[in-house]
Amino acid sequence: MALLVLMFLASMNYQNNLGLLLCFLLTGAALVSMYECHATLTGLVISNAHIDSAFAQGEGELQLGFYNPADSSRRSLRLRVTEIAPMSFDVAPLSGSLVTLRYQARARGRQVIDRLHLSTDAPFGLFRAWTWLHLPLTALIYPAPVRLRPPPSPDGGPKHGEREQRFGGEEEFAWLRPFRDGDPLRRAAWKAYARGGPLMIAHYDAPAGAQRTLSLKLLRDLPLETALSQLADWVLECERQGESYALDLPRAVIQAGHGQAHRRHCLEALALYQP
Amino acid sequence: MIPAASASPRKAVAEPPAPPVAAQRWVLAGLLGAVLLNFGHIAPWCLPVAVAAVAWRIWSVRGAARMPGRAVRVAVLLILTVAVFVSFQTLNGLDAGASLLVAMMALKLMETQRVRDWLIVLGGSLFLLLAACLSSQSLLRVPFYGMELWLLCTALYAMGARNRPVTARVLLRASARNLLIALPLSVLLFLFFPRLTGTLWSMPVEQEAQTGLGDQMSPGDITNLVDSDEPAMHVRFDGTPPPPAERYWRGPVLHRFDGSTWSRLHPAAEQPSEVAFAPPEFAYTVTLEPNKHGVLIGLDMPVDTPRELPAVYTTFDRQIMSATPLNSAVSYHLVSSLQHRYLQPLSAAERALDLQLPYGRNPRTLELARGLRDRSVDDRAFVQAALDYLRDNGFEYTRSPQLLGRDSIDDLLFRTREGFCGHFASAFATMMRAGGVPAHIVTGYAGGAWNRFGQYLLIRQSNAHAWTEVWLEETGWMRVDPTAVVDARYANELDDVAAGELGIAGRGSALARWLRTSGQAWQAVNAWWQDQFVHFTAAKQMRLLGKLGFRDRDYQTLVAVLAIGGAIWLSLLAWRGRGLAEGKPRDTLGRSWRRLERALTRHVSARAPHEGPVAWGERLAAECPELSATVRLLTREYAQLRYGRESSGAALLRFDRSVRLFTARIGRRSPALSPRARATAATHRS
Repeated sequence: MALLVLMFLASMNYQNNLGLLLCFLLTGAALVSMYECHATLTGLVISNAHIDSAFAQGEGELQLGFYNPADSSRRSLRLRVTEIAPMSFDVAPLSGSLVTLRYQARARGRQVIDRLHLSTDAPFGLFRAWTWLHLPLTALIYPAPVRLRPPPSPDGGPKHGEREQRFGGEEEFAWLRPFRDGDPLRRAAWKAYARGGPLMIAHYDAPAGAQRTLSLKLLRDLPLETALSQLADWVLECERQGESYALDLPRAVIQAGHGQAHRRHCLEALALYQP
Repeated sequence: MIPAASASPRKAVAEPPAPPVAAQRWVLAGLLGAVLLNFGHIAPWCLPVAVAAVAWRIWSVRGAARMPGRAVRVAVLLILTVAVFVSFQTLNGLDAGASLLVAMMALKLMETQRVRDWLIVLGGSLFLLLAACLSSQSLLRVPFYGMELWLLCTALYAMGARNRPVTARVLLRASARNLLIALPLSVLLFLFFPRLTGTLWSMPVEQEAQTGLGDQMSPGDITNLVDSDEPAMHVRFDGTPPPPAERYWRGPVLHRFDGSTWSRLHPAAEQPSEVAFAPPEFAYTVTLEPNKHGVLIGLDMPVDTPRELPAVYTTFDRQIMSATPLNSAVSYHLVSSLQHRYLQPLSAAERALDLQLPYGRNPRTLELARGLRDRSVDDRAFVQAALDYLRDNGFEYTRSPQLLGRDSIDDLLFRTREGFCGHFASAFATMMRAGGVPAHIVTGYAGGAWNRFGQYLLIRQSNAHAWTEVWLEETGWMRVDPTAVVDARYANELDDVAAGELGIAGRGSALARWLRTSGQAWQAVNAWWQDQFVHFTAAKQMRLLGKLGFRDRDYQTLVAVLAIGGAIWLSLLAWRGRGLAEGKPRDTLGRSWRRLERALTRHVSARAPHEGPVAWGERLAAECPELSATVRLLTREYAQLRYGRESSGAALLRFDRSVRLFTARIGRRSPALSPRARATAATHRS
């Protein structure tokens, strides 16, 4: 801007018509860039939005899909959730972009993400167009896992001897089965894999009825939030070990099981637990 | 809303601190271009310095060289500043300023890291482009200025495209589009933005090559008159131009003579003696190139003074003087009359001035003149006798005469007998003064070349001429051109002008004729450029307002026109921007599909909201077997183009053409559709 004014004064003073025309052209170009800046945002379609759950005080991921229905690229778009560093991205003509953004999770429970700031300074960086996106984005925040005590023994009560055996890495190896998505890699049979066979997962035989019941009652002496955090930690630990576990909360009992869906089910129950 | 499936995931990246290398290259190219455009007027060492800086920069990007430290930079800054000062003896003014700017930009390249630094280099390049505009507004250079602006604008776009590399073609197109949209607004601003009539602050006068008529004339010292093709002025007549023999353009008047040199007085403003003019009168507009004598030249003899120029005065000998130096070309309107008669007798002072002769010089000439005067009955007869003498004694016109001695007129009349206009005017005026007739020399231009493309008269420096004015009691000052008497060819030259005017391109081969014609066409375009663009002044602006039908020709009207025009431009821009952003006008595939859909809905059956294109096509094919092949093909192709992997522009065009052919066909054949199809169509409509 200052440059334009300076150039204008110089041309005026020299009464130089070509210089004046140059200034006017640049003024016009700047104004056109203002409209181009605005047009970069106008008409941009948010095609999908997805938010991942996160543990309290941690960071979660959030995905927004943008679709550009126009036949020119939209460049230098910036998306940020208020407090975390922005992502910069382009959307090609007649196609979409998937933007992954990290957000800061706060307390356990539901967290509404409503301060999404979308801006652009295309094409020259002279002007900035921006908008607040108000999307129905609600993240479920799980309790932050805290390890205060070891998980309960399979029988329901803490029996230390057995726990030592189970978590000391001395389980009885039972059989190998083919790798499935979601299996913990630390239990892959790497030796067999290295010999050229398919990736197998070692399966350990748990004693009959060796399911653990993770109950809030076991942690009655802790404050509620701490107890929930401890339960979350146990859920993660059992899942890591590939064990079957049940969750017992007042008014919400989840039958024993394991796997990603079960884990999410349990963590959601913990996130939403109201005494 | 578009289904999520169509959104292909693209990685978004965090912002890099420096602009991409491609953008840097654009800026460097822009800087080099700007320096090149300034090459004529900045210090010659600027170009190698800039080239070296750019080369270093490109090399350092590749080899990741370290940026030089602060001490090195300060040292280079000092050296370059001193170099500019040595070249120009100043740091002020356009040439020195531009050179300094080039030096600064070269230096800046040594420390550019962030986007902001690169933007500064870009801004500097823009300013250099302006400096080039200020230094030369020649029409030949304008295309280069335009290309440079395009280049710099593209560099701006390249700087903006930070996330992903963008092809040069896309960038060039984007910037060209931007500038083309900006063009109407800039033309509007150019035409109607109020102009100043003076300058904001005074600037040092540029050292220009001073051409044109001088303050003095000493023909005896000149052995070779160089023909300069530089234009001196061009004249556009309101009506018909005067006959060639009357085209005398009156400039500085020389009164003082010291035996070899004639020189000017520098008189102040004074009421000139009254003159009665007789028709015919000629009205015309002169565009006068810069000169140092300060006289506004007009056809002999101007009736009034130009009103467009702010400070103009008339001297006692009817020279129209500009009070400000004529450092740039000026344009003014004048009316001249070929016939005039002085009404008042010559004042004693003026008579003394124009009878003055140096003591003891040119004795033989004085003797000759007195003899001629004694044999003549009156002053008029004496003038004629002197002219007869010059005609009958074998004088030759030449542009490379011999040198003349101390008694220059004696040498000319009795020894060399050759010379050009200055020689003969000088000799004739001396003879007149010796015979007691007041006389002075008038310098100016004679003739001119008619440009039939531009309908104007071009007068070059080679048209410079000198003649005399003598005072006769009955008419006052009368123009006498002794050169025309001496040399018949001189008169012929004037006739050549007349031939050109009649549209006869002249003799010579076809190529020569073509060259002459295109040369004239170019001159005409150039003259238009100089007249209408370079010298588009406040006065011309007001005249434009008048032509557009505004009665109030003032700044308020200008501002109102600007505001209205600007608002129209902005709303057009906004309207266009909205359409583009929503993708309506250019989604060719969508447009073709809507056309197909409309036609099929009208003639067969509408697509249910839940139906995809392929399912719809299948249903239509079943309902209307005679169209089945084409309908199936088109709907499938649409699905393929819209949701498939590839959709080239050629494929879209082909689809559009097939759709047009098909819709035209079913439009013609609609009554012949099978009854079943029409029945289903009817039920769907109900």
